[in-house]
Amino acid sequence: MQAYLDLIRYKVYAELSAEAARTFLGILWWLIEPVLYMSVFYLIFGVMFQRGGEGFVYFLLVALVVWKWFDSSIRNGMVSLETNAAVIQQVYQPKFIFPVIVVLINTAKFLFVMLLFLLFLLISGKQPSISWLALLPLIGVQFVLIAGITSLCATVIPFVPDLKWVVDNGLTMLFFLSGVFFDISALPEHFQGWLRLNPMAVLIEGYRSALLLGQMPDWGQVFWVLLFACILIVVAVGVFTRYDRIYPKLV
Amino acid sequence: MEGKKIILSLKNIGLFYKRKTGLLRHDKFWALQDVSFDLCHGETLGIIGKNGVGKSTVLRLIAGIMEPDLGEVIRYEPLRASLLALQVGFIPHLTGRQNAILGGLFLGLCRSDVEALLPRIIEFSELGDFIDQPVRSYSMGMKARLGFSVALYADPDILLVDEVLGVGDVDFRKKSADALREISKSNKTVVIVSHNNEVIRSLCDRVVWIENGHIEGVGPTDAVLQQYQQAHAAVVVSDAARPGKAALEAGGMRSEA
Repeated sequence: MQAYLDLIRYKVYAELSAEAARTFLGILWWLIEPVLYMSVFYLIFGVMFQRGGEGFVYFLLVALVVWKWFDSSIRNGMVSLETNAAVIQQVYQPKFIFPVIVVLINTAKFLFVMLLFLLFLLISGKQPSISWLALLPLIGVQFVLIAGITSLCATVIPFVPDLKWVVDNGLTMLFFLSGVFFDISALPEHFQGWLRLNPMAVLIEGYRSALLLGQMPDWGQVFWVLLFACILIVVAVGVFTRYDRIYPKLV
Repeated sequence: MEGKKIILSLKNIGLFYKRKTGLLRHDKFWALQDVSFDLCHGETLGIIGKNGVGKSTVLRLIAGIMEPDLGEVIRYEPLRASLLALQVGFIPHLTGRQNAILGGLFLGLCRSDVEALLPRIIEFSELGDFIDQPVRSYSMGMKARLGFSVALYADPDILLVDEVLGVGDVDFRKKSADALREISKSNKTVVIVSHNNEVIRSLCDRVVWIENGHIEGVGPTDAVLQQYQQAHAAVVVSDAARPGKAALEAGGMRSEA
């Protein structure tokens, strides 16, 4: 067990440092890439469509930062067994470590960007309030959610590779429905319920409440997200255990 | 087997791979059918047979990487098996050193053990300063040397060698052959897959001959090798009507005999 923990830790460190070493600007890209990404949305929705009011930048950025973490983890994690096919066929390791490594790598990058975002908020004059502490449980719940979805996708995709495209489009659709660039509470009542079935929509509203409005998130809803995420993890662990030594034949 | 302890048994192993045969259709390709043999402590077992996926699959079953679909692999004690293949999961943009550490971790060693072994691994691989260059800049031979070195020093209970002896330059091939010979003579258990009958003859105590997923022979090296060569000589004779193929077989036979 210790060897596997060492392996995960080393692999995460090695991948992160390799990414940093590979490009000219290195780790600066972990900041620049989200900034570029966000500028596009701000330009289109904030400036061109005049959708936002005051504070639209923060409204948008908060959601984009947490969404990117969710999206990248799942996209890279779901194919992690395929990506590591060579080593899977050469030596035995429990397969779950592969999506776990992807999630941890993306989490490290997210924490870096989130830290910078908080600094940005402070510099822009936002007062930190007690509600900022809600960040910790929110990030914790999102981590479990991401781990659950990523692992589950990773267990299934070697059997049905076509699902890659289903997940791909599913994520795109979910992105549009998560209230990244609109406010769910501004929509008609009957839509709100449906949209809040999406765990990311709940979390994004939570982050916005905590960081921008100085209010605590709706803990009841967050709890349901956590429960859902835990169920996913249990299922994923079950599938990995059952098919652990079958995957080498498939990848 | 004169009182040698059996450490692992394959019993009636069947294993298939799924093959796509059309839209939404698959069939099963049986790589192994009803394969059974024992592995004794300290012996060097050779696996021979015409090209096909069966031999490598057997190594992976012994290593515990895969499970059989039929039959079972019985381990009489906890065993760590290390597959000495060409590149133990190398990541191209990481350095040789980092990949060596990764390789060691993959092979079940913990971080402190790997780091302790690192100087010897680097020395055996003869990579020198290249050890801190990314692996994507290595030649096949360099990658093989590093992989071999890591797997060797990981000191597994069973060493599984899959056609790896032909890489590297003359000096390294000699070094790896010598290392393998040392290990074979010691009381480590080794399983070697090779097409080179000379290697098999010089290193192995017993041989398993697998062809088309079936066992064609199991027993002492000389006996099975003789069986194998007789069977292939028969093939040459019956193909005499087709000069091209016969010439190919004869040429192949000559270099092996």
